[in-house]
Amino acid sequence: MKNFKIALLALISILAISCDNDDDDAMGLTGAGEVSVTFDNGYAGNDLILGTTNAANTNGEVLTVTRLSYIVSNFSLIDVDGNEYVFPKDDSYFIISQEADLEDIALPNIPSGEYTTLKFGVGIDDEKFQQGGEGQGDLWTRAEAHNLTWSWTAGYKYINYEGTFTSESVTEETDFKVHLGRIGDLVNYEEVSLALPTTVMVSDEMDANIHLKIDASKILVATNNLKLSEKAILMTDAEKAPLVAVNASEMFAVDHVHNGNGH
Amino acid sequence: MKNILMMNDLQNFRLQYLYIAFVISILGFSQALANDKFPSVDPDPITCLGHFHVLDNVYDFCDTCGCGSSGGSMGYGTGLNNNFIGVRYIGQQYRSRDGIFNDSPWIDENFNTMQLWGNFPVLKRTVVNVIVPYQFHSRKFSDNTTQHINGLGDVSVLAMYNVLKVRPDSIVSIKLEHYVQVGGGVKIPTGTFDKANNTGSVNPSFQLGNGSWDYVLAANYGFNYRNWGISTLLNYTIKTENPKEYQFGNQFNYALNAFKTYYVDNNFSLTPILGVAGEIYETNKEYGAVVANTKGDIFLGKVSLEAAYSRYALGVVSMLPISQNLNNDKVELKNRLSIYLNVNF
Repeated sequence: MKNFKIALLALISILAISCDNDDDDAMGLTGAGEVSVTFDNGYAGNDLILGTTNAANTNGEVLTVTRLSYIVSNFSLIDVDGNEYVFPKDDSYFIISQEADLEDIALPNIPSGEYTTLKFGVGIDDEKFQQGGEGQGDLWTRAEAHNLTWSWTAGYKYINYEGTFTSESVTEETDFKVHLGRIGDLVNYEEVSLALPTTVMVSDEMDANIHLKIDASKILVATNNLKLSEKAILMTDAEKAPLVAVNASEMFAVDHVHNGNGH
Repeated sequence: MKNILMMNDLQNFRLQYLYIAFVISILGFSQALANDKFPSVDPDPITCLGHFHVLDNVYDFCDTCGCGSSGGSMGYGTGLNNNFIGVRYIGQQYRSRDGIFNDSPWIDENFNTMQLWGNFPVLKRTVVNVIVPYQFHSRKFSDNTTQHINGLGDVSVLAMYNVLKVRPDSIVSIKLEHYVQVGGGVKIPTGTFDKANNTGSVNPSFQLGNGSWDYVLAANYGFNYRNWGISTLLNYTIKTENPKEYQFGNQFNYALNAFKTYYVDNNFSLTPILGVAGEIYETNKEYGAVVANTKGDIFLGKVSLEAAYSRYALGVVSMLPISQNLNNDKVELKNRLSIYLNVNF
């Protein structure tokens, strides 16, 4: 028994020693690093594969998506202390396109720190819109190359979501088009704010990647329930466009964060 | 950053130092305490078969992937008076999701480990268990490319102290005999840790080693009755942050085995073993922050057979998962197979 007690004591002492090693405080991050964001497009938990039929949504509508492209903009990061770092606005417009395999965006020169929230918008905000063509740099050219412009109104499509669908009432494969954009003074630009499950750490020696999981099915079915069987071409519909905008802002979720991918 | 690295190194160094001091002190205890309760004459090896059957294969634990990532963080049970040296092969098949979606493709991973292992008596009541693993792992991605890694894994050294020991000279006893061992040791970062192997969402344990100094606490309890026996073991591995600032989660292992030895003839015996085992992994950390989808647990069933001829023991162990939840179900163990050949001395 005495032996056992001594052995037990020895074990406990090891535990005590080991616990000693658990202090990971004061990261001492300095300089700046790059934060990249991956927009990994999916559909109701599965990977989004263009031209492949997806499972029925809650409205019983079965979509085959042939295009999903969108504009994300105005990125900012909020650190542990609540300070917001706003990425330079002129460089803060990006195109995500499933068909062109554009899914990663890079935000270089983010000041060192520990960030806990990612914010961005879907589409073009009013301020940018008011700047007109000159203030938008090459954005128009880039958007045009990925079917994110309206030729007849000289406006941007924030989202271009197309394909075919069937439902109980629509048994033939029928085209659907969801093109979200500004309609007159109706901006339809929505902001997204995502809490990061793991703190993003940035420094001279550490880059980070935020991997977003996108659920395209939410464009039609999220806060607002939109039935393609009622209207399959949603473009300049002043009533439904704001509903699409809200839904689309809900399709983003953070899957995971990778710290320290190195410069 | 540099400063932090240095601090960690220092801390690790201090830990190692303390640990070595501890191991030495365990040896010290055992020397002080091991008085002449037991006969010190080594039994004749031929009559070893008459002794309690000592299971070499109580060491059946692995890190998630590994015997892969941690060489021998496997049940550090030591047999009773069974001192041996041997070689053991451990093969593990896993699959893990290459992607974040429910339908992301599975990729197959094969973890292979060849170990030189042994139990060496250091003092009357203390044995040292050493495992030197060589790893050769591969995984095949969905684009049909295959990645191989191979090399030395993490060497582990444990000292086990017999708190309560079965008499080493008894022929098959008719009375219940218990044994209790406690001990601890260290897993040395002799295996390479390559951070590039755990980017992406695939199995983070696809490594030759943890890259860290890890510490193991172990306890074994068992009893024998006639030619029946039960062995149980618990161990806990405390994993520290490695120089790449990645820290694998601590790991708790447990197992229960039941066996019966059949004496075919004087020199030859067969021991079938049935058992269950479990492993619980805490979450991994990187730069002190939690890495998503890295904790988990697994519960396994085990069927094993050991054949002993004279001083040789040949064993085959098969383990299949009964339930598992590894890495948020993004990693699945398919099976484990182990074959060993030991020479008792």
